[in-house]
Amino acid sequence: MSEWPEKVQEIIDDFSEALDQMERYEMLFEYAEEIDELDNSEWTNNTRVVGCQSEAHIVVEFGENGFHLRGSSDSQIIQGLMAITAIALEGLTPEEVTGFSPNFVSEMNVLETLTPNRANGFLNMFMRIQDDAREMLG
Amino acid sequence: MDLISDMSEARSQFPILERILPNGKKLIYLDNAATSQKPSSVIDAMNEYYRGYNSNVHRAVHTLSGEATEAFELARKSVANWFGLPPGGMVLFTSGTTDALNLCALGWAKVNLSSGDAIVLTEMEHHSNIVPWQMLAKEKNLELRWVDVDSESYQLDLEDYKSKINGAKLACIIHTSNVLGTRNPVENLVKIAHDSGAKIILDCAQAAAHEKLDMMDINADFLAVTSHKMCGPTGIGALLISPGIFEEMEPVVGGGDMITEVFKEYSTYQENEHRFEAGTPRIAEAIGWSAAINWMKKLDMNVAHKHTLKLAKNAVEGLKQVPGIKIYGDHSKDDVSGVVSFLHESLHAEDIARMLDSMGIAVRTGHHCAQPLMRRLEVTATNRASFYFYNTIEESNAFVDAVKTIVERFA
Repeated sequence: MSEWPEKVQEIIDDFSEALDQMERYEMLFEYAEEIDELDNSEWTNNTRVVGCQSEAHIVVEFGENGFHLRGSSDSQIIQGLMAITAIALEGLTPEEVTGFSPNFVSEMNVLETLTPNRANGFLNMFMRIQDDAREMLG
Repeated sequence: MDLISDMSEARSQFPILERILPNGKKLIYLDNAATSQKPSSVIDAMNEYYRGYNSNVHRAVHTLSGEATEAFELARKSVANWFGLPPGGMVLFTSGTTDALNLCALGWAKVNLSSGDAIVLTEMEHHSNIVPWQMLAKEKNLELRWVDVDSESYQLDLEDYKSKINGAKLACIIHTSNVLGTRNPVENLVKIAHDSGAKIILDCAQAAAHEKLDMMDINADFLAVTSHKMCGPTGIGALLISPGIFEEMEPVVGGGDMITEVFKEYSTYQENEHRFEAGTPRIAEAIGWSAAINWMKKLDMNVAHKHTLKLAKNAVEGLKQVPGIKIYGDHSKDDVSGVVSFLHESLHAEDIARMLDSMGIAVRTGHHCAQPLMRRLEVTATNRASFYFYNTIEESNAFVDAVKTIVERFA
């Protein structure tokens, strides 16, 4: 068990109280509505997360207040995971983002595997965020 | 010999179908168009090979090698007989359908087609029957002509085919669509190609699972087939070539087993199938495929296919009652395979597939390696439930109920 920031641990705890996987999916659908949504008109090849079965687009911003994620997907499950990732990483520095483990999703029990493959939209998105953060670090 | 016509008896020979998933749900396997499950006899045959006579084939003089060679070459005969190969035809073992299509492209078309020659493809093709031809077309300056698919009837546009085949040297066509289940009128397509002087290769990856193919009846120049969708192991398939084709082909991969003599300056090649099978072949896989064919011989394939269709049609009728679901494919026909492609108007295919998985139901999601067809259908992905003879009506009903539950709860 990793030591997670309080806001991430709260989300993990919420998910652990779900009755079953379908309830966890319901929670993800609710989170999906909370993301700072990237309008479809802003979708470009640059915003696209390659390797998702669904269309998933993100814009990573590092402002005065640190990390901020805007994004959207036509998969509500992916958009929900995107929203939780946004909460988890909000305000972090590029260095902190590159060192952040994606395993919080495993602890939420919403994805069976974090094995990199073409069907793993979440991991592809998370790696893209970390790549963007790495670029900021030069 | 009495054929197995009771599908519950057939099902009982597939141990994996009793699997309980980590979430406690019993597996409902509806991803058969991606790969079929294997009966115990196939698993046992491969085990027996590794436990009893594992050895390299063709060259050693010891007992084990003799046994392995005999079993391996018997497998080739078994494949030839099962697919009704004409006298003088050959079974060239490959790693699967994709490899077989690539062997046709590089071993035959590369040698026999010249700059400016045309190849006919259809919008229904799997990527494995597109990309090898694109690569070859780029290398040899060939023209690729595309036959339309009618997005209402889900059939090939025959008039378009007749027009595109005119003057072309080769047609490369999927026998049965992995997305729509459409069985193309292959006998007619072959005749039209031959009348116009073109050769034709059929991608039979899906078809071989559902009907007993006979190369002499179909009369195509090449059939590309695979083991793993017809109850055999992964890793092996074949390019079946008609008489006279062998002499027109050049080997693509060089190495051991495909030569007669090697000198510093040059090598000479075998005058049989081995010419196209460099390196240690897929021995266990060939033996497993042969066991699968032996098993399929005991199955009443007509009854099996009728059963598969009943399950697919039951699912289609059920899905039609679910608000917002659109079905892709014409399931009123009796020659379609067991695939049911569908989409919901607001729930993404990936979300539906994940939810079905949490209920123990395995379906496929995505573009199914058929992006040109997806574009014709104006979608980026579909859900695909694909039934096989060992599925049950209860599973078909459970699948429909699961989709209904998901739509009611999430849409």
